[in-house]
Amino acid sequence: MKLFDLIKTANHNLFRSKTRTFLTILAVFIGSFTIILSNAINSGVNDFIDKQVATIGGDSFIEVFPSAMYDQVAGMMGGGNTSKVKEYNENTGGFMGANISNEDLEKMRKVDGVENLEIFHMLSTEYMRLEGADKKYDVSVEYFPEGNFNVDLSAGRMTSNDSGEGEIIINEDWLKPFGLDSAKDALGKTVEVAVKQTAKCYVTPNNCIASAKAKIVGVQAPGVLTMDGDLHINQILDNKLYSLSMENVPESSVQNYIAVGNVDPAKMDKIREEFKKIGYDFITVSDAVSMIRTFFDAILVVFNIFGGIALLAAAIGIINTLFMSVQERTREIGLEKALGMGKGKIFLEFSIEAILLGFWGSALGILISMIIGYSVNAVAHETFLADFPTFELVIFNPLNMTIITLIIMAIAFVAGTLPARKASKKDPINALRYE
Amino acid sequence: MNKVIEAKNLTKIYGKKAAAFTALKNINLSIYEGESVAIVGKSGSGKSTLMHILALLDRPTKGEILIDGKNASKLKNKELNKLRNERFGFVFQQFFMNANDTVLENVLLPLKIAKLGRKKRKKEALEALKIVDLESKVKNKATDLSGGQKQRVCIARAIVNQPQVIFADEPTGNLDSATGDKITDLLFDLNKKHGVTLIIVTHDEDLAKLCNRVVRISDGKIISDQTVRKDLKKAASKKRETEAARVKKANERK
Ligand SMILES: Nc1ncnc2c1ncn2[C@@H]1O[C@H](COP(=O)(O)OP(=O)(O)O)[C@@H](O)[C@H]1O
Ligand SMILES: [Mg+2]
Repeated sequence: MKLFDLIKTANHNLFRSKTRTFLTILAVFIGSFTIILSNAINSGVNDFIDKQVATIGGDSFIEVFPSAMYDQVAGMMGGGNTSKVKEYNENTGGFMGANISNEDLEKMRKVDGVENLEIFHMLSTEYMRLEGADKKYDVSVEYFPEGNFNVDLSAGRMTSNDSGEGEIIINEDWLKPFGLDSAKDALGKTVEVAVKQTAKCYVTPNNCIASAKAKIVGVQAPGVLTMDGDLHINQILDNKLYSLSMENVPESSVQNYIAVGNVDPAKMDKIREEFKKIGYDFITVSDAVSMIRTFFDAILVVFNIFGGIALLAAAIGIINTLFMSVQERTREIGLEKALGMGKGKIFLEFSIEAILLGFWGSALGILISMIIGYSVNAVAHETFLADFPTFELVIFNPLNMTIITLIIMAIAFVAGTLPARKASKKDPINALRYE
Repeated sequence: MNKVIEAKNLTKIYGKKAAAFTALKNINLSIYEGESVAIVGKSGSGKSTLMHILALLDRPTKGEILIDGKNASKLKNKELNKLRNERFGFVFQQFFMNANDTVLENVLLPLKIAKLGRKKRKKEALEALKIVDLESKVKNKATDLSGGQKQRVCIARAIVNQPQVIFADEPTGNLDSATGDKITDLLFDLNKKHGVTLIIVTHDEDLAKLCNRVVRISDGKIISDQTVRKDLKKAASKKRETEAARVKKANERK
């Protein structure tokens, strides 16, 4: 028999006892559905994390600090080990470590692959308001060097220092408080950002707040992984606010222990090596989100195990179904053999039947999980995911689905070998004598 | 005259040791081209066993089968399958049809196994069904047919590959006498008009009488072998014509 005829015959035979076949396919479906849907959700989550990581610098963005601080920082970002009790060391400083010296900063900037590196100013901002408006709002701002780092914008552009003025990117949450209808309306508006002048507050507690002006140049699209939800500003505004807040603060009290910058991700390991020699280490955004990923991956593994167990049960179902089928079709097998069909072809006929059971179960799993996945995704975007238009709850990767289907078909084939062997070994004489 | 099948010293023993049962003892038998041979005997005498071995469905415990003078015992399973598929046709007492398939599907099964193309096998199956006068039932399910019609479908299936030999094991055993006669007519028609060699296993003396040779067996031994009529020459010349047609058809398939 030709392969095509074998497949057709096998498929035809499969749907002879419809209920039995349907139940077996259903068993396969439960496994494939679990695996395909959980993989789709995992792809969706990972894709969203990827998008978010890209908006906050991707793999090129680094946060640099003295090596001695690694455990503290990594601990805050969801890694490292914060529970270690360490002996105090004057040179490396206390919990937060020592400052980054200008000398070290220069050395690090010269390391191959480092595009830019700036001291990170932790600004204690007080408020922000539209120029001329009364209402003030709590705000926190941050400056990271512009570079590979780019913000996911719904309007406007990334900040730069070319204009010589302070620039800020707000997010869509600010539109309503500012009485603006759309992101576009915000562009070009001037805001005042105020900071506390710590030293002055010791002298005149009621008059120690100063502000600087900045132009809104962009509006950030909603997302979850913004850097602490802080608004991005350019270096000009950062320097202005920093010098305002540090007015009269003695040099020895200035704490500059974090630097931020952009590097060539391909040279990451080499850069880390060089930085360590100078006494520094860094984390990337990917390091920070690796824990989230690990969490979702662990959930995926659990679901895949569930799916795997379901498939194992389904495999037993396939064995059972096919054994019944072999028993019922003893005569037919005998006849086919008498008419010249070889052992191998009989084996193949039943194997193909098993593979088809796997195939249909998997196909049904793909179909149903797509229907459910996309429906839930649509409902979610109307409701609890309304603020995250770029978050696809499920992503059905054709390659993944093909691989899963092939694996299920392979499992079905292996399950089918037992009954198929039994069928192929039937003696035509005995099969035809069989009453 | 050409020997189509020759059996030499066939012995068939079922089971082993204490349970061993000798179903055939030292059988020597030659089947000639164009013959119609009846293998007659009581139930359990070994008729079916002999037929199965002659038809290469089973291997003898001792002795050998020669097909066209070649030793079939030395052939591999694959070659045996091919030989059966191309040269032999089978008709069984219990019909053995795939009940859920259509009449057409049942008839073209040997051609499907022979890897014949879709159109060709359908064409040839229709021709075979024409010979058994069942063209009108082509699309019917096999289960919907009467016993006589079923056996006619089986004959169509047996002749669809233009076989050299048709083996029929109690072909009328499950039919009433009127229907049985029709089946008998069909088989002998194939023998006379198309020169197909017939080997009919039966315990029906009336059916045996119609054959030109009657082989009687009892307890696994041949007790008599009589050639009744001598009009084989005519059948043989007819056979040569159809053999030429068969070879031509076989070549066309390639
Ligand atoms: N597979 C087998 N195992 C053991 N004994 C068998 C087997 N097949 C047939 N026999 C025995 O061999 C003898 C001949 O059987 P068979 O050729 O079917 O007889 P017939 O067709 O003449 O009725 C019977 O006694 C039967 O019981
Ligand atoms: Mg018998």
